[in-house]
Formats: sequence, structure tokens, C-alpha cells
Amino acid sequence: MATAAGNEPLFVERFPDEAAVAKANLLVAFVALGIGAFFGLVQALHRTDILRIIDSADYYTLLTGHGVLLAIVFTIFGLAAFFHWATARSLDQPAVSTLFSWAWFGLMTTGSLLASVAILGGLVPNLGISADVLFTFYAPLQAHPIFYIGLAMFIVGTWLSGADWFLSYRAWREDNPDERIPLQAFMVLTTMIMWYIATVGVAVSVVFFLIPWSLGLIESVNPLLTRTLFWFFGHPIVYFWLMPAYMMWYTVLPKLAGGRLFSDPLARVVFLLFLLLSTPVGIHHQYLDPGIAEGFKFIAMTNTMFLLLPSLLTAFTAVASIEHGARQRGGEGYLRWLGALPWRDPAFAGMAFAGLIFAAGGFSGMINAGMNINYLIHNSLWVPGHFHMTVGTAVALTFMAAAYWLVPQLTGTKLYSRPIGLLQVVLWFVGMVFMSNAMHRAGLAGIPRRTAEPQYQNFDFVTPIGSIFELRVQIAFGGLLLFLSVVLFLFNMLLTAFGEKSERPVDEFLPAPLSGPEGSPRVLDNLGLWTGIAVVLVILAYTLPIAGIIQNGGGLFGGGLPVPVTVFPDVELVKTVLAGALAALAGVLL
Amino acid sequence: MRFTKAQALILIAFSIPVAIELRTVAGFFNYDLPLIGVVVIEFLFLALLFVLYGLYGEKSTPAAQ
Repeated sequence: MATAAGNEPLFVERFPDEAAVAKANLLVAFVALGIGAFFGLVQALHRTDILRIIDSADYYTLLTGHGVLLAIVFTIFGLAAFFHWATARSLDQPAVSTLFSWAWFGLMTTGSLLASVAILGGLVPNLGISADVLFTFYAPLQAHPIFYIGLAMFIVGTWLSGADWFLSYRAWREDNPDERIPLQAFMVLTTMIMWYIATVGVAVSVVFFLIPWSLGLIESVNPLLTRTLFWFFGHPIVYFWLMPAYMMWYTVLPKLAGGRLFSDPLARVVFLLFLLLSTPVGIHHQYLDPGIAEGFKFIAMTNTMFLLLPSLLTAFTAVASIEHGARQRGGEGYLRWLGALPWRDPAFAGMAFAGLIFAAGGFSGMINAGMNINYLIHNSLWVPGHFHMTVGTAVALTFMAAAYWLVPQLTGTKLYSRPIGLLQVVLWFVGMVFMSNAMHRAGLAGIPRRTAEPQYQNFDFVTPIGSIFELRVQIAFGGLLLFLSVVLFLFNMLLTAFGEKSERPVDEFLPAPLSGPEGSPRVLDNLGLWTGIAVVLVILAYTLPIAGIIQNGGGLFGGGLPVPVTVFPDVELVKTVLAGALAALAGVLL
Repeated sequence: MRFTKAQALILIAFSIPVAIELRTVAGFFNYDLPLIGVVVIEFLFLALLFVLYGLYGEKSTPAAQ
């Protein structure tokens, strides 16, 4: 993982085309961040009844825009930028075809624009275009066809971006047949394999059901089937957001702390565990769906709890690496070493804050994942409180913090202001503490999510401590701080991009891990094997539930009356699929 | 080790979740801490931090330490 220190040319000098593609991806990500954050502020003020500048009917348009622009466009364009940089840097070679890189970027951008037009069209009633289907876009809510077509183009664009990085890897492998895969490239490839598997669900849902349904080619869809296919993709997308953040925590954060990654093999194991376990867990989002047998939900819960393992391994490795860095900087004692960390650096402070909030988000996620206790908070404001800690901070704040270190490498200009950067990450942390804490508490009090009018007539929510009014003020205040934080970030990035060129705007050097890959088994790098196992796990987890949903829910396209759930789906279908999966695995192994 | 502005800012940030959850902790001991109590405690913490920064901050004189 190490690169030469000292007089090594900047990334933008070594790989100008890759830097340009990464910058273009970050530009789209940051535009989406600005618009999505503004929508978030309007929502926070509206549903807390602090300031209402839109009709409640338009709330759902902004909610969809907020979710799609931030959870899909910002995160995945950010991922594409980081992965394009990491692939070129770690393999030390440019992409195979720059034209191909621009092609997937163009496809993703066009798809995003189409989906955004469909969403924002909802604010102009005479236009006849709307997509108030929220980020989770499954039936029975229906959007204009261009929303689904845009999404399909976007997903295909991400597939091509993965192909771009795999082509780079293949070219590198031809020249380095016996080398271990460089760690960052390994992280990129395992993440993309997971994405290919996960997006099968959403691709089938959009192409075979939602697009024909929105065009009027088919009369109805099976809502439970589209929900299940969405969550087939909807949980692993969480790890698609997180894994680039993990990549930065594993490979950049230790360096920023002044040290080195604790263990390269442990990082590889973590990414493989995410590849294996991210997808066969989606049904834990459907604990209250009546058409899925309880046994399948229990299996999904068990799989989900296994996912805690790579997160806990990451917490251990990240803290160990940071502590090593602090001690290299002269830190001593059991806790006093914390004071020796470079808190002045917004890139470090932002990632450290993100990791801390992610720990809290992990704990609230365990409540979501527990099948029985989930009933307490299901569809309540607790759930947005949870994911604003995970994707809204662990991912978003890490991306912003990483940008303070990465953007100067891509532009060749110095960061405009480190103090403003530090203030920005602190504002994000404080704003998120206010907002997500109040959301969790409001969820415990039973306040629902996804509504512009969270009050029922003749019913008052009760909190054990404080009042509902306090929670509303906390949410609005937190939302305001978060928006101000985004404004500061975009301001800093804009002035950095147009700043004066510098010979050495940032120290790009990434030191080698304390424990390198040479001590770990080579089977960790056998991507074909892990892909085969991941596919088998998905087949085992989903074949019976989906067969049951089709059989009991009125067929592939719905329309019939649902019948009580059974656990006896089409046995022949199950046998055929399982035999195919085992044959595929045998082919990989032998 | 000098107490830097960045460290002071980080400590202020970390004090916010502690302050917000202070009433929950008090509730464990059957004590109903009012909101104004939390505000006062946070204010006192900030005042203490301000004094410490004055004494040991990066712009303080070595004699003061």
C-alpha cells in the first residue's frame, strides 16, 4: 500500500485523466449534496412546525428529492470518485480507457438528471410528471416512467464503472501474476462484486415490473414482490455507501493520525465478510410485512447479527491504528494519547467524529435488526434517526472529511481553509447529535416517520423525559446546523478548486501497514471463490421467501387475492435453483 | 502539552451529547433534572474550559503554567 514519499509527483500529475474523472464525479456529488441538504432543512422545519414555506402535499416531493439526491446520487458519485482514485493509485496505472470512464460517468449523470427531473416535476402540477415515491420507490406508489428509466441508466452506469476498475485490475494482474492485490484495489473489487450481486434485485424490479407498470404495459404488480426485490438491494446499498468510507478509515485515517494501518489481513477479512453477508439480510427491513413467513424473518435477523462482526473488527482496527499514530506523535497513558491526535486537521477530526457517531448508529441499528424489539420502533422517527447516524454521518461526514485531503491531490491546489474545515466537521457532529438524538427519542414516543403532519387528532405523544416541543426544537436546530455545515463545506471546496496551484498541496504518502498481506493466506485474494459463496448464500436466503411471495401473493404480477402465508413454495423450483447454485460453486472450487 | 484551540473546540463538541443525555442519566437515579439545569451545567463546563484555555492554552505564557 505504501507509495514513495518525498518528491513523488502529485496524483493529478501522474494520472491527469483519472483525476479529471474523479473531480467530475465529486462535482456531481457536491451539487446533489447542496440541493439535498436544502430539501432536508425545509423538511426539518416543516414537520416540526417551526417554519412552513411549502404545502404539506409537496413535503413528499422534497422528501423523495432529499433521499434520492443524498442517499443515491451524493453517496454513489462520491464512491465513484474515491474508487477511481484508489484504483489508479494502488495499482499505479491509469484506467484502460479514459473514454470508457467518461462513458459510465455520462450514463450515471444522465440517469440522475432524468430521475431528478421526474422528482422535481412534482412541484409543478401542470407538468404531468412526478415521482413522489420516496427513496424506497417500491409499489404500490408509482412514479413517472422517466424516474425508473433514469434509475436504470444510473445502475447500468455503476455496473460499467465497476467494469472499468476490473479492467484496470486485469491489466495489472497480467504484469504482476504473483503479487497480492493491493489493499485499496482489493477493497474496490470486493465492494463492486457485492454491488453486482445486490443490484440484481433492483434491476429485476425496475426493468420487469416498475417500468412496464408505469408505462401501462402491465396492469398491476405484486407489491410485496417489488418490496422484497427492493430490500434485496436496499440493505446491501447501505454497505455500498459504507465500504468507501471504510476504505478511507483503513487506508487514510491511520496516516492522518500519524501512524500506520494495524493489519492488512484483517481489513481484507472485513471486506470479504461484507461481500458474503451484506445481501442475504434484506428481509430484516420487512419484519412487519404480513406476506413473509416468520421463519424467514428469523433467518434474516440471524444473518444480520453476523454482520456486526466486520463492524466490530473495523472498530478495533481503526482505534488500534489511531492509537498507534497518537503514540508515534508522543502520546502516552491509557487515555491521554487522545490529546496527541491531530484534531486541528479537519480530515482527521471529521473521520474520527464519523466513526464515533457510527458506533452510536450501530447500537441503534441492533434495535432495528432485533425481530421482536423492532416492533417498538418500526416506521417511527427512530429509523431516520438511525440512518442519519450511519449514512448521514459515518458516510457523509467521512466523504466530506476525506475530500479535504483528496481534493487538493486532484486539483493541485491547497485547501482554502483548514479552520473553516474544522468548524464544518464540528458543526456537523453537533447538529447530528441534536437531530438524531431527538429523532430516536421521538421514535420511542411513537411519532411516525414519512409524514408532513406527525400529529394525530385527539392524541398526544408522551415522552418519559422532557417534552415533544423540546424534541421538535432539537430536530429543527440540528437540521439548521447541518445545513450550515454543508454551506461551509461547499464554500471551502469551491474556493479550493479555484485556488492557486501549489507544488505540494498535501502529503499524499500512505505508509505500509504494520502487518502486511504477506502473512495472510492467499485464498483471501481468490475473488472467484468468495463470489461463488456469496451467490450461494443469497440463493439460500431468498429462494424460498420469493417463491412463497409469488405463489401466495397472486403471482408475479399480483392482481389476485392474497392467501394466507405458507412455507411450502414450489418445491421443484427450489430444487432446480439450489442444484444450479451448487453446480456453480463446484465449478469455482474445482 | 499545550491546550490548543482545536482541542477546545473538540471538547465542546463532545460535551453536547453528554449534556443532552444528562437528564436520562439523572432519570436512572429517579432524579428529574430540569432542562434549565442542563443548560447551567453546560454553561459551567464551557466557563471552566475557557479558564483552562486561558491558563494552559497555546497563547498562554509559560509562567502561567
